[in-house]
Amino acid sequence: MTIATHLDSKYISRGELALSGFKDLAPSLRYATLLTEDGFSVVSVEGDALDSNRFASMASSTQALADAVARELKLGDNEFVIVAAENAHVVQVRVENHPLILAALFTDQATIGKSLAAARRTARRLNVFLAAY
Amino acid sequence: MPEHVILFAGPMGAGKTTAIRTLSEIEVVSTEAANSDRDAADKPTTTVALDYGEISVNEAEKVRLYGVPGQRRFDFMWTILAERAEGLMLLVNADADNPVDTAIEYVKEFYALYERGGIIIGLTRADLVPESLIAEYANALADEMPDVLIPVFTADARSHSDMTVLLMTLVANVELKQAVAANSELTSGRAR
Repeated sequence: MTIATHLDSKYISRGELALSGFKDLAPSLRYATLLTEDGFSVVSVEGDALDSNRFASMASSTQALADAVARELKLGDNEFVIVAAENAHVVQVRVENHPLILAALFTDQATIGKSLAAARRTARRLNVFLAAY
Repeated sequence: MPEHVILFAGPMGAGKTTAIRTLSEIEVVSTEAANSDRDAADKPTTTVALDYGEISVNEAEKVRLYGVPGQRRFDFMWTILAERAEGLMLLVNADADNPVDTAIEYVKEFYALYERGGIIIGLTRADLVPESLIAEYANALADEMPDVLIPVFTADARSHSDMTVLLMTLVANVELKQAVAANSELTSGRAR
């Protein structure tokens, strides 16, 4: 029997490890979740008040819509998604070679560029941890 | 060009994406992701945002077809897409657990669309259940919502003719409701 990605101990333990260093990279991080492509939260950090399942579902839809736009306009693979709102921003990046997305919410105290760099680095870290598993 | 916007809803695995692909005259825009929840529906992918297709009713009329994700955790997409829609095609897989209750639940969820244009129910995979189940739908709906008239059809989401019958019935219903509403506005305007 195949284990669902969000219940797979490999993804949970490595995800926790990778996300544990995220706040150090980006102090303005308010919340982050690692999710499956179809919107199940695998592991989350920070922001207890947020509904991690809701955030993961919305991140999944947003990612899929952005991917569809890139596909329809023949822009090549979509690399990341940014939602820049008045008081905060959300950054989403795919974890290469795995059916996972890292979605993170940052306060407006950091620039989007810094947040994106931290999210990409964390996704790469996770990739390294998974490769070593 | 006059347009209609029709929403396709229903539980995971009911055939919403298939139905839109069957009907659409353009290449369907899909947002499918690998399905982690194989217990809910044993299929490799699932819709996580929307499906979009288009079909012409005649030279002057176009119908935009929007499919919503079947899983309730994506219900924010239901709200977003229902805002613009005029009618609902509710697809329910007849061989699922409690299909009648599921249909009633969805009708209640999208009741605003019934009032705006109309709802039609398409029972998919109906060849796998006893015929009596079809009558059960009509009876259950009548018991639960006595003033609501919703046609129930059996349909194969892969069949162009089946899906066209359902869609055209719904579009006719929407146009009739809109005409009645416009007429009553006109009449009340004259009375003033």
